Amino acid sequence: MIGALLYLQVQSLRNRLRVRVRRLKKPKYLAGALVGAAYCYFFFFRNLLAGRRGAALVEYNSAPETMALFELLGALVLLVMVLSAWFFPHERAALVFSEAEMAFLFPAPVTRKTLIHFKLLRSQAAILLTTLLLTLVTRRFGGGGTAWIRAAGWWVVLSTLNLHTLGASFARTRLLEHGISNWRRRIIVLSGAALLLLAALLWLHHTIRPPEASDLESLKAIKYYVRRTLESGPAAYVLFPFRLVVRPYLAPDGGAFLLAVVPALALLLAHYFWAARSDVAFEEASLALAQKRAEIVASVRAGHWHGAAAKKTKKRAPFGLRSTGSPAVAFLWKNLISAGQAFSLRTWLFLAFFAICVGGPIGATQHGHGWVMPTVGIVTAILGAYSLFLGPAILRQDLRQDLANADVLKMYPLRGWQVVLGELLAPAAILTGVQWCLLLLSVTMFSRLPEGDTIPLANRLSIGAGAAIIAPMLNLISLVIPNASVLLFPAWVQIGREHVGGIEVIGQRLIFMLGSVLVFAFALLPAGVLFGLVFFLANLFVGVIVAVPLAAAVATTVLAAEAILAIWWMGRLFERFDVSAEPAA
Amino acid sequence: MRSIFAVNLHSPRGMIEVESLTKLYDEFPAVTDLTFTVRPSEVMGLVGPNGAGKTTTLRCLAGIIPATRGRVRIAGEDLASHSIAAKRQLAFFSDEPRLFDYLTVWQHLVFTARIYQVADSIETGRRLLEELEMADKVDLLPGELSRGMKQKLAIACGLLHSPKVIFFDEPLTGLDPVGIRRMKDSILKRAREGAAIIISSHLLHLLEEICSHVLILKSGIKVIDGTMGEILQKFSEQSRDANLEDVFFRATGEARGNR
Repeated sequence: MIGALLYLQVQSLRNRLRVRVRRLKKPKYLAGALVGAAYCYFFFFRNLLAGRRGAALVEYNSAPETMALFELLGALVLLVMVLSAWFFPHERAALVFSEAEMAFLFPAPVTRKTLIHFKLLRSQAAILLTTLLLTLVTRRFGGGGTAWIRAAGWWVVLSTLNLHTLGASFARTRLLEHGISNWRRRIIVLSGAALLLLAALLWLHHTIRPPEASDLESLKAIKYYVRRTLESGPAAYVLFPFRLVVRPYLAPDGGAFLLAVVPALALLLAHYFWAARSDVAFEEASLALAQKRAEIVASVRAGHWHGAAAKKTKKRAPFGLRSTGSPAVAFLWKNLISAGQAFSLRTWLFLAFFAICVGGPIGATQHGHGWVMPTVGIVTAILGAYSLFLGPAILRQDLRQDLANADVLKMYPLRGWQVVLGELLAPAAILTGVQWCLLLLSVTMFSRLPEGDTIPLANRLSIGAGAAIIAPMLNLISLVIPNASVLLFPAWVQIGREHVGGIEVIGQRLIFMLGSVLVFAFALLPAGVLFGLVFFLANLFVGVIVAVPLAAAVATTVLAAEAILAIWWMGRLFERFDVSAEPAA
Repeated sequence: MRSIFAVNLHSPRGMIEVESLTKLYDEFPAVTDLTFTVRPSEVMGLVGPNGAGKTTTLRCLAGIIPATRGRVRIAGEDLASHSIAAKRQLAFFSDEPRLFDYLTVWQHLVFTARIYQVADSIETGRRLLEELEMADKVDLLPGELSRGMKQKLAIACGLLHSPKVIFFDEPLTGLDPVGIRRMKDSILKRAREGAAIIISSHLLHLLEEICSHVLILKSGIKVIDGTMGEILQKFSEQSRDANLEDVFFRATGEARGNR
């Protein structure tokens, strides 16, 4: 029987790879694969192949004290994870199967033990992939050491943890069957953990001593104190089995690895027998889990990436929508509802009130030197700038969300530009609201430079007004780019019809990100030049107070013209957008 | 004539006029050179095996996907050159209701009313919800509705602007017997009020009850079309008491045993 299940795994993997290779015939995937491969090579594999960086770190990492500390800290992390597996979960044991696997395997003459073995076999595929990634990442960021030892070490850690989590889920279910409720179990686990902690602290207090200033004065002193604490008393006994699991990963050479891996494998085997021999009914809970997962997948495929797992709740409309008027406003209204109640008019008014009534007096009453006010000012300015780039990635209540319902949108008696404009309005409005609030806070509180020089209110108002004028159009332009990309390259952008992964998708996203930055810079160029020119001239004749908002207004006009052109062009794209030809795997 | 209402066979102009409609997916012809007309109060059944091109035809007629060649006129408006005017007159109901997860039942109607500029939307919306027995569900989200209720909501949204042309793609999928009966009544009511309707379905006996006309497609090509009476009569020459199912199997050359 296990042969048939192995066949299922191998054939599924083979066919998945074949699909991946076949789609490389399409230029978009080929280009993505090349860029993704180049990225992975330069970021991860180059170090692995050359071994230069790794070799340099071996010596440092091989210091016995450092290794011992890493081992102790690793064991501590594992202990926390194991305790979590016993404390947090509340559901019965459920193995993750796809709906197809359940339809085929559950009614089939397959024993429960075989199903557990199938599950363990399948989890090995994920563990091996994670092992590879972790080996690459830990080496990239200074893990050092021999690659195969690191990989084998990761495999031991992940496999043991996987088996323990499975075994714990079976044990929890058995406790429930014996009438021990989840809360009773949690109290027992928590009491046990608290007792251990108390014993360790008492030991520390009586045998070593509480940390003193000299123990914390340098990194070396801190490391020494932590190591001494964890290596003695009750902590040493508790952490011992966990250290056994971590030790192979930290082995400096092949000989040490072989010595370390024997007890670790013995623990792994013990876990295997524990999990595989558990005869706990998991079928019903697995069915419920599969259904839940299928709902999430369906939600994701329908384009609702962020809300896939969350239960949807009714949201209040941001304003009353009349049945006549610009249809674009209907999209703003709909997408603001989608964004949630956090972005209602009441919230904006409260934030503005807070910024003026709290920030103003604080900014006005600060005297002398100090870093708080300048820091607040600088941080709010940086957040505002960041929101231009991060905002469109976070707020997706636009075509990226709704193109999954493209056939509904296409049916509406609207021009393409009306749909596009409507779709862009909600994220642009939210971003503008956030930036205006940050600006208010910055203008009211950023009254001094770090050196203590005062910034006159007129100057702050002038700069704030300039930024406030230009922000809406900057947001619109920054949102035009990803939305135009959805229409131009629906298969390249995440709109939810099909969830694709792999190296080619990494490459696609890199190309896309680079392209977006270039287009944004290009779009800002004329406005930037004009801003500089107008500011220079206005500053000469009327002073800086008027020059900033004036230059911002002129630049905004240029950006508005660009946005109008872009929306008109995107409208044409939307009208020609063929939902039958879209997208993509 | 098996249809239970009078068919306006003599109307001078069709409400849905299709000339040489062709849709290619890359090189593959999904629909080829399709021509037909549906007049006011007519209900046409679009029938064919899986992959015959029924859904593609309906999506082209609703302006969701562009036709590769040919011309479609909805209530006299060319769908390609006057798409806005044409779309104002039509409603399309897909087999799987497409709703916005985060809008309640009533918010769906409010949004649709603004898109279609329905002036008396509150009154019409309330009446539709009453008619569809959803008046007590106005504050629910789609996720809280059964499949049948979701379909009713999609219908309420589609009928809010009183369309003259209605397309149904497998409208009876997933409905219980009561839901099927109500859907049939609703379709017939719209037809009596003058709407031109096209229904795509595999439930042939139901189509036989409500359709005045039939068009059978196979591999994207029209095999036969005409009034229900004409078509049944034509095939009755070969065997007595032919029904739409017999016609379907003979016209498409499908073997009954393959069902």
